[in-house]
Amino acid sequence: MGVKIYHRPDLHHPIMFVGWPGIGNIGLIAVSTLKEILRARELGEIDPLHFFYPRKVVIEDGLLVDLEFPASRFYYQRVGEKDVLFFIGEEQPSDGGRMYARGEKAYQMANFVLDVASEFGCHRIYTSGACVSPIHHQMKPRVCAVATSSEVLQEVRRYSNTIVMSELGERREGEGVITGLNGLLLGVAKSRGMEGACLMGEIPDWLSGAAFPYPKASRSVLEVFAQILGIEIDLHLLDESERQIEEIVESFYAKFPKEMKEEYDQRKTILQIRPGTITIQAQIYIDEQYKKGSEEGGEAPS
Amino acid sequence: MTSRVLDFLIEAFEGQEVGEIEPLRFFSFGGVRFKEDLVQFQESKFWALKRHNLLIFKSDEPEFEYYLFLNTLLEVAEHYFQIEELYTLSGTLSLIAHTSPRRILTVYNRKEWKRRLEGYGLEPMTWKGPPAISSYLLWVAKKRGIPGVSLWPEIPFYLASREDPEAIRVVLSFFNQRFRLGLELGWLEREKQEQEEKILDLRRENREIDDYICRLEKGLPLNEEEQVKLAREIDEHLGKRG
Repeated sequence: MGVKIYHRPDLHHPIMFVGWPGIGNIGLIAVSTLKEILRARELGEIDPLHFFYPRKVVIEDGLLVDLEFPASRFYYQRVGEKDVLFFIGEEQPSDGGRMYARGEKAYQMANFVLDVASEFGCHRIYTSGACVSPIHHQMKPRVCAVATSSEVLQEVRRYSNTIVMSELGERREGEGVITGLNGLLLGVAKSRGMEGACLMGEIPDWLSGAAFPYPKASRSVLEVFAQILGIEIDLHLLDESERQIEEIVESFYAKFPKEMKEEYDQRKTILQIRPGTITIQAQIYIDEQYKKGSEEGGEAPS
Repeated sequence: MTSRVLDFLIEAFEGQEVGEIEPLRFFSFGGVRFKEDLVQFQESKFWALKRHNLLIFKSDEPEFEYYLFLNTLLEVAEHYFQIEELYTLSGTLSLIAHTSPRRILTVYNRKEWKRRLEGYGLEPMTWKGPPAISSYLLWVAKKRGIPGVSLWPEIPFYLASREDPEAIRVVLSFFNQRFRLGLELGWLEREKQEQEEKILDLRRENREIDDYICRLEKGLPLNEEEQVKLAREIDEHLGKRG
């Protein structure tokens, strides 16, 4: 059990971007896409055996060829004058089949990630996730921020299309919970004297239970990442997946009855404070195949 | 099926309970199951069949710490009992008729092990997807240098909630042959015949069920609705008269 580091590059106060799966995989897609765009190199990994059940077995002609575990990998790259670390976890460690990490293993994994960050002199961590909001799907998702200190919060507020949680509708007190490791990591970081922020792309509330990703919000998060790094990034990598998801979402929207559509469309012009009944009604229009939890696992022969 | 095979072997050879893995860390303890009015509790026990130099491990599937659990199992088996070969047993539901022969689909963790077991009529499995715990165990065994094989006898899907004496028979026949156990398995032939006769009664009474089974016998598929209906009717019929 532990961390394997393959290279020891000389990094100067790197910042770290971290992503795990979550609602709409907004954070995971944002961090993975940034890693791809910057062509970050693999640095190391966390041994999966202690954390995960294997997700795939490959059996060919009676021979057990491979057993694949969810990967938890570190990457690094230099961007201009900045050194950047990445951590991408394909799954959150959880006991009992929960989607989000909790308990001892979650805490251990958070500490493993931060151990590596510390080892390379990193003091600033950015995680990402979803902010479930009563927004219209045709609106550009904003990026909602929570930080470990008021200084970091002030810094994050300066980025365009970014708001802090207390400015967001029903969360006027800036209270809430960031479920799973995208949240926990920041808590553990704070307790270890590190600073950071969680940048959450908005997803319409009625889509938060859907099984498909929401790259439109990942794009918003990536635009903030680019501001943090002080670079321009070409996000065409997201174009195709964004188009496909838009098509699915628009097909649901097209099925809304006229009155419901009118009420929902008010979201474009009037700030919504609470989800309201429209959210529940709209969720009904998501087909069974796109709802989370419909897949069943299990081994079977071919 | 697995439970029945192992219980039979333990009873037939006066197996002796020789150890267990304590359940703490591996199970949730969120309550207790009961079956046929009897409370069940998680068990992970080792049984020794001294006469034939066999060690049996019978357990509920852990809910947590799989890797630790599987390593502990192999650690005990290697350290205290010096096991040299590993066999795992699980049933696989198949779209076959109960009158069709049962294949034992098989997964090996080493090429040479596959060659050594040629001649036993085992059928190599091909599969890519989520792994069962037996595949995980096979993989951990491979890491520890223990040759292993997973046996997956086919069970007609509509016997899933009942017993399949033929699947039990083919597995015990394999063990009989492999370990020269000298088991008399005529009783399973009789159980199989009794079950077939009961199903035959239903086929005579119900043309639709007969048609479904005929199609399976010819290797033709059934749609989901037909599968559900066949499974329900067979289950009710065998329950009623068995």
